[in-house]
Amino acid sequence: MPDVHSLVNDFVNQLKKRKIEGSQATAKQAAELLRSVISQQRVPQTNQATALINAVRAVGEKLIAANPVELAVGNIVRRVLHIIREEDLSLATAAIAGLELSPGSDDEDDVERDDYPVLSAAAVAAAARSTLRPPSLQTLLEDTPISAANPHTSSSGGDSEGKSRSVDKSSRGRKLKHDVIEAVNELIQDISTCYEQIAEQAVEHIHQNEVILTLGSSKTVLEFLCAAKEKKRSFKVFVAEGAPRYQGHLLAKELASRGLQTTVITDSAVFAMISRVNMVIVGAHAVMANGGIIAPVGLNMVALAAERHAVPFVVLAGSHKLCPLYPHNPEVLLNELRSPSELLDFGEFSDCMDSASGGGSLHVVNPTFDYVPPKLVSLFITDTGGHNPSYMYRLIADYYSADDLVVKRRPATGS
Amino acid sequence: MGAPKKSAARVSVSEDHDELVRVPLQAILLADSFTTKFRPITLERPKVLLPLVNVPMINYTLTWLESAGVEEVFVFCCAHSKQVINYLEKSEWLSQPNFTVTTIESQNSVSAGDALRVIYERNVIQGDFVLISGDTVSNMSLTQALLEHKERKKKDSKAVMTMVIKRSKTNPAIHQSRLGTDEIFMAIDPNTKQLLYYEDKADYSKGTLHLENSLLADNPSLSLHHDKQDCYIDICSPEVLSLFTDNFDYQHLRRHFVKGLLVDDIMGYQIFVHEIRSDYAARIDNFRSYDTVSKDIIHRWTYPLVPDIMNIGNTATKLERQGIYRGSEISQSQSAVIGPFTVIGSGTKIGNNTKILKSVVGEGCKIGSNVLIEGCYIWDNVTIEDGCKLRHAIVCDGVIMKSGSVLEPGVVLSFKVVVGQGFVVPAYSHVSLLQQPIEEDSDEELEYADSTSAITSTVDKTDGVIASKVLDTHFIPASELGFGGVGYVWPKCEGGHEEEWRHSVAPITEDKILEAVKAMEDELELIHDGKNLPLSGELIPNSNDDSDDDDNDDSRDDFDKEVEATFLRAVHENIQENHLTLEVNSLKLSYNKIAADCAGALFYAMMKYAVDMPHSSADSLVQNVEAILTKWKKVLTSYLNDMDEQIEVILKFEEMCLESAKEYAPLFTKILHYMYNEDIIEEDAILSWEDEKKDADESDRVFVKQAQKLIQWLKEAPEEDDDEDE
Amino acid sequence: MEGEGSAMEKNPKISAYYQTRLAHFGVVSSEWLAQAQSATNPIPSSSTNTYPDNESNFSVIDEFNRWRNHPDLAEAVAAIRALAAVISSSKASTMMQLEIELKNASDSLKAWDTTSISLTAASDLFMRYVTRTSALEFEDFHSAKSRLIERADKFGEISYKARKIIAMLSQDFIFDGCTILVHGFSRVVFEVLKLAAHNKKRFRVFCTEGRPDRSGLRLSNELAKLDVPVKLVIDSAVAYTMDEVNMVLVGADGVVESGGIINMMGTYQIALVANSMNKPVYVAAESYKFARHYPLDQKDLAPALRPVDFGVPIPSKVEVECSARDYTPPQYLTLLFTDLGVLTPSVVSDELIQLYL
Repeated sequence: MPDVHSLVNDFVNQLKKRKIEGSQATAKQAAELLRSVISQQRVPQTNQATALINAVRAVGEKLIAANPVELAVGNIVRRVLHIIREEDLSLATAAIAGLELSPGSDDEDDVERDDYPVLSAAAVAAAARSTLRPPSLQTLLEDTPISAANPHTSSSGGDSEGKSRSVDKSSRGRKLKHDVIEAVNELIQDISTCYEQIAEQAVEHIHQNEVILTLGSSKTVLEFLCAAKEKKRSFKVFVAEGAPRYQGHLLAKELASRGLQTTVITDSAVFAMISRVNMVIVGAHAVMANGGIIAPVGLNMVALAAERHAVPFVVLAGSHKLCPLYPHNPEVLLNELRSPSELLDFGEFSDCMDSASGGGSLHVVNPTFDYVPPKLVSLFITDTGGHNPSYMYRLIADYYSADDLVVKRRPATGS
Repeated sequence: MGAPKKSAARVSVSEDHDELVRVPLQAILLADSFTTKFRPITLERPKVLLPLVNVPMINYTLTWLESAGVEEVFVFCCAHSKQVINYLEKSEWLSQPNFTVTTIESQNSVSAGDALRVIYERNVIQGDFVLISGDTVSNMSLTQALLEHKERKKKDSKAVMTMVIKRSKTNPAIHQSRLGTDEIFMAIDPNTKQLLYYEDKADYSKGTLHLENSLLADNPSLSLHHDKQDCYIDICSPEVLSLFTDNFDYQHLRRHFVKGLLVDDIMGYQIFVHEIRSDYAARIDNFRSYDTVSKDIIHRWTYPLVPDIMNIGNTATKLERQGIYRGSEISQSQSAVIGPFTVIGSGTKIGNNTKILKSVVGEGCKIGSNVLIEGCYIWDNVTIEDGCKLRHAIVCDGVIMKSGSVLEPGVVLSFKVVVGQGFVVPAYSHVSLLQQPIEEDSDEELEYADSTSAITSTVDKTDGVIASKVLDTHFIPASELGFGGVGYVWPKCEGGHEEEWRHSVAPITEDKILEAVKAMEDELELIHDGKNLPLSGELIPNSNDDSDDDDNDDSRDDFDKEVEATFLRAVHENIQENHLTLEVNSLKLSYNKIAADCAGALFYAMMKYAVDMPHSSADSLVQNVEAILTKWKKVLTSYLNDMDEQIEVILKFEEMCLESAKEYAPLFTKILHYMYNEDIIEEDAILSWEDEKKDADESDRVFVKQAQKLIQWLKEAPEEDDDEDE
Repeated sequence: MEGEGSAMEKNPKISAYYQTRLAHFGVVSSEWLAQAQSATNPIPSSSTNTYPDNESNFSVIDEFNRWRNHPDLAEAVAAIRALAAVISSSKASTMMQLEIELKNASDSLKAWDTTSISLTAASDLFMRYVTRTSALEFEDFHSAKSRLIERADKFGEISYKARKIIAMLSQDFIFDGCTILVHGFSRVVFEVLKLAAHNKKRFRVFCTEGRPDRSGLRLSNELAKLDVPVKLVIDSAVAYTMDEVNMVLVGADGVVESGGIINMMGTYQIALVANSMNKPVYVAAESYKFARHYPLDQKDLAPALRPVDFGVPIPSKVEVECSARDYTPPQYLTLLFTDLGVLTPSVVSDELIQLYL
């Protein structure tokens, strides 16, 4: 336990000090951390899933608070919670299915039954599955059976078979933990291979002799372009340098070294160049539930330019970047203002900031992100394929359960 | 001295260590600044625990050390050591993985030197260490500096220290950095980055800087900087500690240690500098730097050490547009205005129509209605009742301001002071529940004895008016802070504190700058008068001479023309008086002139302007002159402190009447009388002018004759007994 | 109360929906709302018992009118309650009979006011939920019936709570210092703003006048009581004030399958202006307002008529547009705040289509 505790603190610290950059790295580390949290969490006899969920939530709350702007952390926490729920459900379903096959075999079956005593396995499964989906018109009333059935639970479970129950429960608990860890492993695997899966689709989107524009640097974009190149597509790439961090320079260097025809332009030249461009391909920091994206600063401008010239604006995003939240006031709340020293040399301008003698009128604002509204995005390419912005909520419904939207245990009030 | 043996031994040991075992990076954090600049606040709470943008300062330093990769920190506590230790014990700092914080307590250390000697005795420092004081805010990365230090050390074991510096322009008028510290002159070898010269108390009165001849002889190239800020972050080798122990008179890190090494050339030890560019580092030395660094934090130069990221405790702060930082659970009235670049702590209540601009407000404060807060630092749990006005003040925890009270710029209210209803606390006063200690601490003397004496001498003469204004606070009985007020207003002590405006949180007003500039110039003049020091090869006209140096005519003409042009521009563009004074001052400096020249030139320009203005008769010309003289009187009189200068004006006028503007000839006496009435020219000046002219030719005495009546009247009016006759 | 409700004349010129609203809002005030709210709280529990023996002359319309007179209770929720009462008072002995009875009741409810979208929508949804196949698996009729009642009550309760849920969900979107333009008097919108004011958010509200029933005036009165800064804006000044506005927040009479909304006349126009100035348009609507309509244009829905008073006699030759509501297509809406969560119009569309597939 102390081990996990220090791991958590360490990660929280790193997040707080902004030492981890890039949503992929963050997502992966978060998933690995949660895996060790789960594996070290002692599971009680009953309600193993609840115990795990509470443990993950407690850690998740800290992680999210450490860097609320890095949405990948929250995404991963919610994904893991969803995984726990799902695994618990599939175990329950399997157990009940077993029960159906061998009706009335022994005491243990009763024990198994006490969770879902009256209803058929299918009904239970359907009912429980519904809890994993966001509330919808259909599911609005579906959970009634469970709540109605709950009073039975206490009455029907006999005291006599305590022993056998505990044996079974603990084995099931271990099984649950095992399954969850397996699933989290898969998640980690997915995160680390999401580049490849996205890149595989490159040939479908990039055609011969096209001109592609991108801004800043994104590993996903790099892999995507290179994958197309490897498939013998020949095309040109314009790279907007991405002030003030100029990561576009790095991307251009990398692309050129892989033999792609690359042109570097300033961010301000995007509009001038866009008419020659066939497609804009960019990475995102996070994809919001409405299909809007949080992306490196400058991309909103690029998206508007692309819209003006009807150039498709394609966003590449691994599924760990899908965030089940809606952006409210995204320019402020989901932004990070970094040090002005990336823009100006402090020494050169220090006299303009000398508030003592009345020179304190120079202010520098250095936002990290832009919010690009969904209507400017033409297509999302995720590791599961290409999607329309308005479809993002469906993906989100697949990955997250509605109960986890708010990871904090307190209900979220206020902004 | 015995230093060589010891340090040599240590060097070899530490080098072995470097190669064999990895020595954890250590740091010494001095949780005491050994100064009294933050009094009266520091009488009750140590400086490192004072909140800087609502977070105790030491947290900034520790956070930086941790993120810079330091693994072991020794916190040296002296004043209020219990408070520091208690704070650290309650905080999370003592339980961090990979980052150990150890406190070292010593009650009788009075300087940084003593502190380092105590640490040396403890024998805890194994290798290179970072020396920092607990009031430093930085986000720099140490890797590069450490690497450089280590490499130099490998090549030359005498490179014992690397100082971190940062470029930051100083204010040329008052020779002060934006942090409120004195301008530092450093000579640095541009190739090796070796520090060759360090002077933080340059004597501006002489306007010169003395570099050793050998410095220039020994170093092929050398660059002299005055725009570098000393960040007070040093990477030191263990030798530094033994050096302090060997030289037990070393107290101050810079004044004694650095200068000592540079000047005395002890064992050939060398100091190097590391300049940071995009990173931030600054030390809070006085109230001015407290203000500046707070603003830098709010403007995010210290990222990620900014309020919304670095939340110590549980309350999260959110950044909104325009740099407004808001804690949680603030109750703010709909009509209250919070201006840009303001921080509001959680749980604070703000009433109707209250305005908070460019300020920091702590947690749990209660601010009433119709309050104006501008540029203030208000700490936790402060109560400000309706209608108060606070400008550029520091208000500590638990202060209560009764309704309608006012804080003028530069006020510091220490803990739990109560300001009575409607009371106006005068500018730059320090108020505390504690009486001002009578004896200055010995460390203060040690540290600042030389500085204070230097400052007082400059201030004495010129700051007279201000000083007496400030001294008024002397006469306020200590407990009197208005009706219901509690606290003592500290009397200004002699020396040092007269220059309160330099170091307070209030912005420096223009007239202060002007005064400072003037003070400096007067100083220069005094010296020039006395020693006749040539400044730049050109001879300076002696103001005592009644005739001008002929050699100087060219430059004089230029100067007059420039002044005239400046004056005309001032008239046409409606420039303020003090700006005009500033400009004339700069001309004066660049042409190497004295006040009398300025007075003459200015007067000439005014009269010329008056005569050039349309006028129909002699009367209207006089009116013109009167109008102009009244308008710009202040500028002119600022150069007429002396009789010589006034005589110069009269002479100039005479000259004009004879040559360039003969129209004035018949009006000479009239205008002279007017100037006398307006106090531009004093009686004595006129009389001594007459006296001077006594022996001159008849032709030169035309105007004396014309003014005879006036002179006569002057002579008779005050003293009837004067029977001297012409 | 009952008499009052049934006595309401069916004026063909005025849709019953607006008559109800008129009747309620004539007297509505926040104190009265609060009283009504506390009064309604115990009612859900009593609902099943009130009319069990009221045998032959049970009329769903009467029951509906009884519920409808609670001003805080939406018409749709009243309908749901009434239908629930139908089940509990039914003397049917088979599932089939019960279903037929329910169907008739719901039809008569719908027929009572064909122009009320939420009434129709709620009746449809109720039928859909309550009679869903999974519930009818039980062989025993009585247990099935009790389960139906259970469901019906739950649905009624969910609908009743919907406003509170929506108010909570939408808090995040109201940020400090924002200006919100609202149109008409929607009780959900009012609930949202009330909660925001309660949470000490600092915001400003622009209320449109809301001709012809001037519902905006009422909203502004209510908001002023909560010390929220309000500004009244005549309906035609929407475009003029839009640049000061940060978001538009409207309620809805009904949410249709396209994801668009049907709301008080003028909403469409406000949404168009907001859209052209790139301001978000948020809709607060309870899920029982999700209706099975797919309007293709404005004329595609049954017009709900409402008298328009011009203050001067209008010559009989002059035609007057009396329609009380318009249809706002989904592309002009940013998000819908519903008790199912915050949804984009396309999600709403998906939900509805799936439900009635």
